[in-house]
Amino acid sequence: MSARRLRAIVLRVIAEIRRDRPSLALLFIAPIVVTGLLTFILRDTTSPDVRVAIATEGTGPAAGQVVTRLASALTGAGMTVTVAASPDASRNAVRDGAATVAIVLPANLAAGRDAQIALVTKGLDPAGDGAQIQAVSSAIVGSLASSLGAVLPAVVHQTVYGTPSADPMAPFAPAIVAFFLYFFVYLLTGVSFLRERTGGTLERLMATPVTRGEIVTGYTLGFGFFAMFQVAILLVWALGTVRVPAIGPLPEFSLGLGIAVAGSPLLAFAAVLLLALGAVSLGIFLSTFARTELQVIQFIPVVLVPQFLLSGVLFSVDSLPAVLQPLVHVMPLAYAVDALREIFIRGADLSVTSLQVDLAVLAVVAVLFAAVASRTIRRDVV
Amino acid sequence: MMNSDSTSAAAPDARQPAIRAVGLVKRFGAVTALDGVTFDLAPGRIYGLLGPNGSGKTTLIRLLTGMTRATAGSATVLGVRMPDRANLARIGYMTQGDGVYPSLTVAENAQFFAAAYGVEDAAQVADALRLVGLADRSKMIVGTLSGGQRRRLSLACALVHRPPVLFLDEPTVGVDPQLRVQFWGHFRTLADAGTTIVVSSHVMDEADRCDELLFVRAGRVIARGTGSGLRAEAGTGDLESAFLRFAGESEAAA
Ligand SMILES: Nc1ncnc2c1ncn2[C@@H]1O[C@H](COP(=O)(O)OP(=O)(O)OP(=O)(O)O)[C@@H](O)[C@H]1O
Ligand SMILES: [Mg+2]
Repeated sequence: MSARRLRAIVLRVIAEIRRDRPSLALLFIAPIVVTGLLTFILRDTTSPDVRVAIATEGTGPAAGQVVTRLASALTGAGMTVTVAASPDASRNAVRDGAATVAIVLPANLAAGRDAQIALVTKGLDPAGDGAQIQAVSSAIVGSLASSLGAVLPAVVHQTVYGTPSADPMAPFAPAIVAFFLYFFVYLLTGVSFLRERTGGTLERLMATPVTRGEIVTGYTLGFGFFAMFQVAILLVWALGTVRVPAIGPLPEFSLGLGIAVAGSPLLAFAAVLLLALGAVSLGIFLSTFARTELQVIQFIPVVLVPQFLLSGVLFSVDSLPAVLQPLVHVMPLAYAVDALREIFIRGADLSVTSLQVDLAVLAVVAVLFAAVASRTIRRDVV
Repeated sequence: MMNSDSTSAAAPDARQPAIRAVGLVKRFGAVTALDGVTFDLAPGRIYGLLGPNGSGKTTLIRLLTGMTRATAGSATVLGVRMPDRANLARIGYMTQGDGVYPSLTVAENAQFFAAAYGVEDAAQVADALRLVGLADRSKMIVGTLSGGQRRRLSLACALVHRPPVLFLDEPTVGVDPQLRVQFWGHFRTLADAGTTIVVSSHVMDEADRCDELLFVRAGRVIARGTGSGLRAEAGTGDLESAFLRFAGESEAAA
């Protein structure tokens, strides 16, 4: 591998993309638009269909009074409210689907911060749960503030199935960061490399002493350069939050998910970048089988959508049917999503074995795909 | 594949053929693109590959440059059996398509291929661009060039590393008559300095500028000689009829 030649390829790839306005837009504006939209959908969904079952651990008329007042407040907020006979009954209502959220008031409701109000959801659909919890919490706070005064009890989220998370959005952010990066990097590399193939420059390049390894490495580093910015944008979106004040007829809204990240953002950055490097090789490899740019896009349902469905982006990996479980283990995206969740939610650092495994798999996949891609480069161009 | 000592022999040996093909056959499935081609080409001369569309000219050049593997036979350039990656530093190949990056500038393209060939001297890039008359357009984006200008850039990228062997696949297509004359002037200058040049063409009026012609038809070299020699042998005054005469003979022999 010659450093000079490699440098020439990297700089050329960068120069080409820099001049290519639509691709630049795809790289930088598309993630912002798509993720911005998702922010609204996930965070700011208005009035979901909330069916509440209220129960209290407390006894006596005082407890009953709080329940009644809360029930009417929630009804006033447009929710369907039933009063359950016991906390267990309310949880059962959620399990059966009769209610979407159970509110379990503690016996010591008046104890201020020490008291804990439990909001119970089914836990299978973090996005839906998040919207429900948000709607119910604000209604509870409004109602109880008037009866309990300034010191409000804490509200905790519990789930019937799965593990509740402090922020229902937390498991999503990593998945979305990883998926969109994978998607955009694949698309851009696939199309760029196809152009190299059909434009005759690949033949030209193969007529120089440049090696196939240098070409793949050059592409990986060149696109890795842009992927770095993309990762940065996506992470800022996931971790940060900006409130945009109401302007004219536009209501106030917030940008960014504002996920509290427990681990190191730098480590998260490294994990996604590894995934992106693998996506570059994937793009080069698949461009071998495409003759037109449309065909590069047609590979998306075959290669990217299954990863989207099976890597825990939307549906938890554990809840997938057993038949599909082995597939999960061959999907690079699954390891990236898992690595990010480990870092974001669990606060894992490099000493955690499962994170080590994720990163190692991502690195191996990147190298392996690069090797495969460089083997397939030299297919006769028709 | 890597052959490090192959680059050390810088100047082509005048006694050895610069290019040698022995029984070259290339099949694409049922299509036989090359059907047993054998020849020796001496250094410092301009050879013209003449033949109709689909006769196998490009395929022959691709085999000689090691772009694709022969079904049978062997190709040797400057004493090195192709394909050989290191030997490519001594070969220039101007492809039939332009093969330049449309979003880069003229200079960036030439610089890129120079770097790919391991050229360190920036003056060589400027020289190559001057040679093809693009020095004053070095900052232009290639996508905005005319077809002929792109062709010229493509030539510049093929000789930016000053290779002793040059393959030019229809270099003058789309190039205006005035520049065409200049191109051939440059080819002659390069050949006089020792460069071996193989030019494919189906423009017969360019043929007389070559030192020797190889008529290619249906994957075979059906005749070889100087322009006047071939005309005399065929007993006609123009090369088109000479080609047809030889084509008829090879048909009858087959
Ligand atoms: N990659 C390929 N796959 C299949 N067939 C091919 C391939 N490359 C060339 N051929 C076939 O080989 C034959 C020779 O093609 P080649 O390109 O060498 O012709 P040519 O003499 O350069 O023609 P032209 O003057 O049109 O450039 C043609 O029949 C062509 O269809
Ligand atoms: Mg051709």
